Parts: sequence; C-alpha cells; structure tokens
Amino acid sequence: MNWEFALPEAPACEAHAGAHAAPHMDSEAFAGFYERSARPLWAYLARVSGDAALAEDLMQESYVRFLCAAMAPSLPRDGEVAARLYLFRIGSNLLRDHWRRPKATSIDEVSEEFFAASNAARQVESRAVLTPAMLQMKPRERELLWLAHAEGYSHREIAQVMGLAAASIRLLLFRARRKMAKLLRAQDAQTGRAE
Amino acid sequence: MLRACPREKEVNELVVRGQWPQAASADVHEHVRRCRACADLVLVAMALQSAHAEALVAVRPASAGALWWRAQIRRRRAAVERIERPLVGAQIFALAVSLLAALGFVGFEARHGVAWLDWLEGLPQAATTQMVDFSSSGWMWLLLAAGAMLALVAGLLVYLTVDKPKA
Repeated sequence: MNWEFALPEAPACEAHAGAHAAPHMDSEAFAGFYERSARPLWAYLARVSGDAALAEDLMQESYVRFLCAAMAPSLPRDGEVAARLYLFRIGSNLLRDHWRRPKATSIDEVSEEFFAASNAARQVESRAVLTPAMLQMKPRERELLWLAHAEGYSHREIAQVMGLAAASIRLLLFRARRKMAKLLRAQDAQTGRAE
Repeated sequence: MLRACPREKEVNELVVRGQWPQAASADVHEHVRRCRACADLVLVAMALQSAHAEALVAVRPASAGALWWRAQIRRRRAAVERIERPLVGAQIFALAVSLLAALGFVGFEARHGVAWLDWLEGLPQAATTQMVDFSSSGWMWLLLAAGAMLALVAGLLVYLTVDKPKA
C-alpha cells in the first residue's frame, strides 16, 4: 500500500526520532555548512583511508546520515564546532565499518592476475593520496595524527570523534607521533643519500 | 618511554597558528633542538599541515543540493517503513486468527459431526456405485458453503499479505 500521500513533511530517518522529528537544518544552512566542512572531511577520509574514491563515497554518506540523524547537533543551538565533530564521528564510524565489512568474493575465486593488477593500482593511488610515512602507519594512528595536527582538535574532541576515552588519547598520540617522526627522518635520510 | 614535555603546548600553538619557525623566540628554537618530544611534534605537525593544505585544494565536493535531496528521500522511505511496520503486524495477526478459527471449526466438526466422517469414508464407494444424494442431508450443504467461504477468506488473506510490486 502506498502511504506517501499521507506524508507532507517527512520526519527524521531513525526509528527513535520522536523527540527530534523536525530536521535540524534547512537547505540554505546546510549548503553553507557543507561548503565550509566538505573539503576538510574529504581530506580526513582520503588521508586516513588512502583511497580518494572511497573518501568521496564516505563523505557523501556522512552528510546524508548527518541530515537524517535525529540526535545531530543543530547549527544555531549547538554551534558549528559541535556539528563538525558529529560529522567527523560519522565519517570515522563509516571508515571503521568499511574496514570491518567482509569482502563479498572469496579470495579463492579471484584470479592471481586480477589480484596483482588491483593491488598495484591501489598502491599507486595510495602513494598519490598518502605520504610514504603515512602509508606505513596504522589507520587508527593516521586518524589520531590527522585530527590532532591537520585539523587541530583537542584531545577531548579527538576522543569524541574516535569514540575513545579522552585519557588514552595523549599516550596514543604520543606513540603515533614518535613513530611517524621516525619514519619521516628515515625518509629524509634516504632522500639525502639518493641525492 | 612517555615523557611529556611541559612546553609541548606552547610549541604546538606556534605550529597550529602557522607561526613556526618565524615567530618563535630563540629560546623555543633551542628547546625544540634539544627536546625530542617537541622536535617530533614540529616535524609531524608541519608534514601533516602541508598534506592538509594540498588535500583541500585537490577536492571538488559534489553539490550540496543533491545530498540534501538524497537525505530527504531517505527520510521519506524511513517514515513509510515506520508506518507500514504495524500494518504488516496486523496482517500477520489477522492470518493467525483466521487459521485458528479454521482449525477450531474443523475440530468442532470432527467431534460433533462423526456422521460427516462416515460419509467421507464411504465417498469413494458411493462415487463408483451411485450418485451421492446431497439433498438427503441439509448439513452437507452447510459444510460445502463453509469450505468455500474458508477458501475465499484464505485466498483474500494471501493476497493481502503478499507484497505487491510498487509502480
């Protein structure tokens, strides 16, 4: 049965939308927010995943989920920073879901030629998107470093985006930074030797 | 070993504001040269900020309007699903009640109309030897009508519960 005629104003997407049924942003406010936040979000997703196309898909999905989320912060009430943090959190969760998702095809069914070609293409693309040092970091370390030093978020804000305890961020960030600094120095030394 | 530097915050602020190395005092420069934690911080933060600036130029985001409408469509679908969920429940309930009523009817007939079962047992023989005389038993018509009604209701229920393709 088609009930759409009975829905002049569509409520929020989630089943528990009750309290926040009205959209938290109108289309003009959204356009402004998107203009200001889309590039940083894409940069974060691309640099953490190492895949520009995936970053594009996840960025779009993040905004759609942001608009549908009943509990998403409202720009006039909660401010732009809260909205951005919420958006980055959605993006981080989508990235994690993507990594956790089992691949549809069994590895036994894929020919070696396809695997080699796809791997090579991915490596070339990753090198273009990530610096060699970032490429050697774990995804969680990339997330931490990017949020802290590229986005300039505080430990509390990073904890909010990554869903971790704020107390653990300091140590994790310290270790990740030390590892990356080591890789950058090694890379510099290698470049110096080559020249 | 984790050794937090008390000047880390100061150095970080200089880097975040883009004031490193020009606006930093000689004292801070000397500190960064000697402190490994701060040297790491400066090296990594400068590399990431440069990557950030490159990435911001590289991206061409899709239109905001398209995403806005995608979200509207998803909201609408979610709302329709929320409305349809209790309807499916009601249909399942109606089917369960009808099946129970049908079972009750058959049970009642089996207990109170034993003659009906006798007639069923004798049916193959009667069919071959003689025409069954329906007019002789009035309840037989009632039974047939109930069976037809049951089939009709079951058909209607199946029609209502099966998902029809949307235009």
